Amino acid sequence: MTGVSQRKRLRSHDKPGPVAYAILVVATLVSAFPFYWSIIAATHTNSEINEVPPPFLPGGHTDSFGKAADQANIGKALVNSTIVSGTVALGTVLACTLAGFAFAKLRFRGRGALLSFTVGTMMIPPQLGLIPLYMMMAKLHWANQLQSVILPTLVTAFGVFFMRQYLAEALPDELVEAGRVDGASYFRIFWSVVLPVARPAMAVLALLTFMSTWNDFFWPIIALSQDNPTVQVAINSLGGGHVPDQSVILAGTVLGTLPVLVVFGLLGRQIVGGIMQGAVKG
Amino acid sequence: MAAISPARLLTRGQLWRRRGTKAAPYAFIAPFLVLFAAFGLFPLIYTGYVSLHRVRLQKPDAMTWVGFDNYTTLLQDEFFWNSLKNTFTIGVISTVPQLCLALGLAHLLNYKLRGRTFFRVAMLMPYATSVAAATLVFAGLFGRDYGMLNWFLGLFGVDPIDWFNDKWPSQIAISTIVTWRWTGYNALIYLAAMQAIPHDRYESAMLDGANRWRQFRHVTLPGLRPTIVFTIIVSTIGALQIFGEPLLLQGGTSGMNGGASRQYQTTGLYMYQSGWQYFSLGKAAAIAWLLFLLIALVVGVNAAVVRYRARKG
Amino acid sequence: MRTPNPRSRALAALCCAVLAGSVLTACGSDDDSDNGSGGPSGGGQVTLSVGLFGSFGFEEAGLYKEYEALHPNIKIKQNATQKEEVYWPALQTRLGGGGDLDDIQGVEVGRIVDVVSNQADKWLDLNTLGAQSQTSEYLDWKAKAATTKDGKVLGLGTDIGPMAICYRSDLFQQAGLPTDRNELAQRWSTWDGYLDVGRQFAAKAPKGSAYMDSVTGMYNAMIGQQQTFYYDASGKLIYDQNPSVKAAFDTAARAAQDGLSAKLVQFQTDWDQAFAKGGFATISCPSWMIGYIKEKAGDATKGKWDVAAAPGATGNWGGSYLAIPKGAKHAKEAYELLTWLTAKEQQAKLFEKRGSFPSRTGAISQVAGTTDAYFNNAPIGQIFSQAAQKMPVQTLGVRDNDVKVSIQNALNSVEAQGVKPDDAWKDAKASVKAALG
Repeated sequence: MTGVSQRKRLRSHDKPGPVAYAILVVATLVSAFPFYWSIIAATHTNSEINEVPPPFLPGGHTDSFGKAADQANIGKALVNSTIVSGTVALGTVLACTLAGFAFAKLRFRGRGALLSFTVGTMMIPPQLGLIPLYMMMAKLHWANQLQSVILPTLVTAFGVFFMRQYLAEALPDELVEAGRVDGASYFRIFWSVVLPVARPAMAVLALLTFMSTWNDFFWPIIALSQDNPTVQVAINSLGGGHVPDQSVILAGTVLGTLPVLVVFGLLGRQIVGGIMQGAVKG
Repeated sequence: MAAISPARLLTRGQLWRRRGTKAAPYAFIAPFLVLFAAFGLFPLIYTGYVSLHRVRLQKPDAMTWVGFDNYTTLLQDEFFWNSLKNTFTIGVISTVPQLCLALGLAHLLNYKLRGRTFFRVAMLMPYATSVAAATLVFAGLFGRDYGMLNWFLGLFGVDPIDWFNDKWPSQIAISTIVTWRWTGYNALIYLAAMQAIPHDRYESAMLDGANRWRQFRHVTLPGLRPTIVFTIIVSTIGALQIFGEPLLLQGGTSGMNGGASRQYQTTGLYMYQSGWQYFSLGKAAAIAWLLFLLIALVVGVNAAVVRYRARKG
Repeated sequence: MRTPNPRSRALAALCCAVLAGSVLTACGSDDDSDNGSGGPSGGGQVTLSVGLFGSFGFEEAGLYKEYEALHPNIKIKQNATQKEEVYWPALQTRLGGGGDLDDIQGVEVGRIVDVVSNQADKWLDLNTLGAQSQTSEYLDWKAKAATTKDGKVLGLGTDIGPMAICYRSDLFQQAGLPTDRNELAQRWSTWDGYLDVGRQFAAKAPKGSAYMDSVTGMYNAMIGQQQTFYYDASGKLIYDQNPSVKAAFDTAARAAQDGLSAKLVQFQTDWDQAFAKGGFATISCPSWMIGYIKEKAGDATKGKWDVAAAPGATGNWGGSYLAIPKGAKHAKEAYELLTWLTAKEQQAKLFEKRGSFPSRTGAISQVAGTTDAYFNNAPIGQIFSQAAQKMPVQTLGVRDNDVKVSIQNALNSVEAQGVKPDDAWKDAKASVKAALG
């Protein structure tokens, strides 16, 4: 990372004025307002939300959370989403680091073609494969089971590309070569040389994958049903069979989004760092 | 980025291992390739096959070959063209402001700020929400009769706007959701790129007497060019695929229709409606492929323009 | 970048911990749920799942609890989706792909012909479980619609949707209109009469209130009075040559142009909120709407609502069936639950509690005397029974629902977007073509 010292120097002359702060505060408020509003709405009754003027402070109405959890199966959804997102994140990181290493540092027939092909598939609208995918899951008797949403997303072209870009730069050729000279197998090199170097990027990829899997909704809605939902399926079915009560719906979104926000609160700085690092590398 | 070449002189053990060496790269990419082929590639190709048939969602095994009929019908289908137009306009009004805002915010975040981590995390928070959750919340805020936004505008004497039924307001509503979710993410990418611009370029600009604005125009922007191109391509791909926001804005049959008169039906949404409301899988598959070709075309043109300008510049 | 800095290392460790933790807890809870669910072998304990859309009201009326008390070995789990147009595609996807289905599935009347004519191989013939004794108790047309040409019974009816008009007497009073249900029924004995009252209402309407919620409701009510509408008896699509469909469309479009509607889309959030806010004074009211109104409008408007006979005093809108997909895990138990839920006692109870009007003749005679305090003690039993008696035997079609949705969207565009009725009709036809073509 060469940027650090330059960053320091660059900053020293650039002191922001009050206008800059004001704009940033407004931007922060805009970012946060929908979250804040869902908390307000979730803690008021449906008719209170529609008052004029609307309430601006959270209320004491807590029934909606219970109702949302009950109607939309949020408890199970949270567990399911954790399983699915955790597994996918783990799987993506493993498979993509392996492949990313090979694409970055190993020479083999068809490498260039395979890589550009992989990158090219990132342009494909994800809806494209839905129909056969469902038929496949049904034939395997996996419909409505968690593996039906885990396996199709277990590897991503983005992940491979991300790891390849990172390793191409961060992993010095000499390190690999030194390992070869010592007579180590490629798998040994991967384990003791590549993995330690790749770790920061793997962590970032894991986090990004975890979040995007958590938020994925189109395929899960088709593959799963309400009795075995992920969080997005549950949110989508909120109000099912009953009054589509705004307060309950927003309580559900709060419950479903909260875990990601907690992760964000804890690791926000690292996530930010990761995205920025990835941006420079990409 | 030189690749490793196998050593020249080989002992017998090394010879044995060399065979492993040749196979090793494939072993490394195998987990990825196998999963990708099974769950990414096969469905894709099969969709292409489906698009040449007449087939209903309920009976996916009962296919009738129709050749390119689905495609020719689509090219004469006013709703398909309407959806392309909407995809284009929604794409423009969500991508352009989004990237401009992101650039401005990145510029501000690049100052020596108090609480800069806080601001960065705050900007990125919307990125952590799902399309489903964000759209549900925004749909409530955009309500015509009882929504908060119209109440707020009413304070300034603005008449209630029908954010769902009127063409431009509904497209703006959708773009707002997209912009809200992605601006912070792009701002961080720009910020990273800004920080990678060598400082001496600014210094020499200052020596030439350039003010801040000229520095921004003549140092920052050129430095950001590759990144801007990258974000434009990524956002364009995203914009062409927009479908969750319009589907869920009103929800139900209006949502699938993209509004009562399809005023905000995107191509992705028309594909969904064809497949999951009209149950015509063949047609849906054909739309999916046309959309793919369109994306490939746009990205190709983008890349060509970039290359052309780079050669000229 | 040769040695990862401590921060990234900490991050990596944390991530691994989070991931490992999530996988571990996940595995733990997975086991729990496996033990808890109780398959058929678990000591005779059977869990039946019921997949429904909208508001059947079984759960709300306490019917599941009652049944579980009667059958201690049965547990009932309901999977409900609010919107039929979300429920049905998901169900169709699973049917097509051979995925998991619930033991009992709800089917809307607009889909029943599709089920009977195209999906007979996907659904259980209830006759094999003894439905012969059931079908004779139904209104003839209701049972026939779920019977295939070769006599298979693929579903048993729950409710039908006889029509009335529900109205807010307090808003009528403020507009200087009569509030008596008999007088109103007389004044709107025809749809033109209904629109006349509407114009009088609009002239003196309380602020924020329109005459009706949406012209699509009125349109559906008018269609519900026709014998043939979208398809003819031979199964041919005739909606665009059928003068009564065009007439209903034109009347509804005229109401929209006269500004008589609140320009809402039915079953959407704004519509829900307008119930409580008094956003409209009348709504075309199939009996199942009674339950909707109570839930959405809430206690605040109790006694302010009333029910009067609809123009023409008849019509049908909606109504549903319960069916068992082939491959249901507990077909026999599911059939027992299904017949119990649709039995006349339960149908009568559902009408009293929820307004869903019975489709078994025995239950219809049972509910004739029902009144409803929420609706100012209106004799809803009598009003809906009379509507049901005069109900035409309707010719249903395979894709009725798609035609209906296309026309509804067109009418919405007239009322909310000011699209010219002629253009909207063209749009509707194009949509039908896209849907069916």
